[in-house]
Amino acid sequence: MSLSDRSRVNLSRALVVTGLILYIPSNIMPVMTMSIVGKVDALTVLGGVHELYDSGLPLISGVVFLASFVLPFAKLAALAWVLFLHGTPTLRRERGKVFKIVHLIGSWSMIDIFLIAVLAAVGQLGALASVRAEPGCIVFAVVLLCSLVAAEIYKPRLIWEDF
Amino acid sequence: MEYPKEIETRKWVICPFCEASCLHRELLPNQELICERCDTTVLVHIPEKSLQPPFALSLTGLLLLLLANTTPILTFEVVGRSQSDYMITGIIELFRQGYWLIGLLVSFCGIIAPAVFFLCAFYLGFALVLNLRPPGLKWAVLALRSVRPWNLIPVYSIATLVAVVKLKMLGEVNWQVGARFILGVAVMSILCEQFSVRQIANEQLREMGVNPEE
Repeated sequence: MSLSDRSRVNLSRALVVTGLILYIPSNIMPVMTMSIVGKVDALTVLGGVHELYDSGLPLISGVVFLASFVLPFAKLAALAWVLFLHGTPTLRRERGKVFKIVHLIGSWSMIDIFLIAVLAAVGQLGALASVRAEPGCIVFAVVLLCSLVAAEIYKPRLIWEDF
Repeated sequence: MEYPKEIETRKWVICPFCEASCLHRELLPNQELICERCDTTVLVHIPEKSLQPPFALSLTGLLLLLLANTTPILTFEVVGRSQSDYMITGIIELFRQGYWLIGLLVSFCGIIAPAVFFLCAFYLGFALVLNLRPPGLKWAVLALRSVRPWNLIPVYSIATLVAVVKLKMLGEVNWQVGARFILGVAVMSILCEQFSVRQIANEQLREMGVNPEE
């Protein structure tokens, strides 16, 4: 099955809008719950960053903040800009460059998803230590998938099309 | 519209990024044909000797990936009880908790995509180094290009580092041999990615009749 160019643009736009809407709950809802020796912590994406910063690890917290909070939004915003200008002759070369960058750095926002997988693997010590994924991680994953799939569906050649 | 005869008889190459038609010209070793519209490398003339490193890197990456998946990455200890972390245990746990979407995503980006990426890079390297045209080479090139953005082993290695920092606040964490393999795969992956872009744009591939844009 091959999509028509118009469907590609519409589908990408729909995915970007969905991603932008879900971006807010993905940052409010907890992505995992850590329970260590009776102490239960429900962590949001930003909560995890805050915790790392408070522990005296500003560099690592900065990396996680950029990868998990800034990058997903920046990627969606960049795609929204490219799609908003679609069909116009404005800044075509720049749009091409932005699209390339989106492809290059976009995947780094998966850091939190992998983090949950690593923590879930070791958090199987019953009452002593347990790590549970929470529905927030599904919303977060959907946001990432929306931006990844939208960037895959929208072919760069469409930037130079005039419809 | 009529083009000058010189242009009509020369070959055209399609840009892999913006799909513009670029006029082919003879390239010297390491010279690149750049798309005028989007500045992407369309063709590159790679000298024969330079074909061997990506071939070796992809094979190393493949072996390291196998080892990274079969050895523990770290152990976490709380009040005398410990638990080992393998790549697969996190995925199984996510499936067990009912988060199959996350489990699928992690298994695809952490295991399947890197495996396909290294396999295809190895197959392509094998064909180019030996100047052979094995079956399915075009599909290998297309698969390599498709899975490249989904090969997230370098991100996985950073996530492991962050997890260790987090776990150290709660208990004792010991790095295991698998962590070295993960780091090795991540390095191979980054290097291989740089090479694979040039390999796909290699002029030799077009001369062998493999054109992924067609």
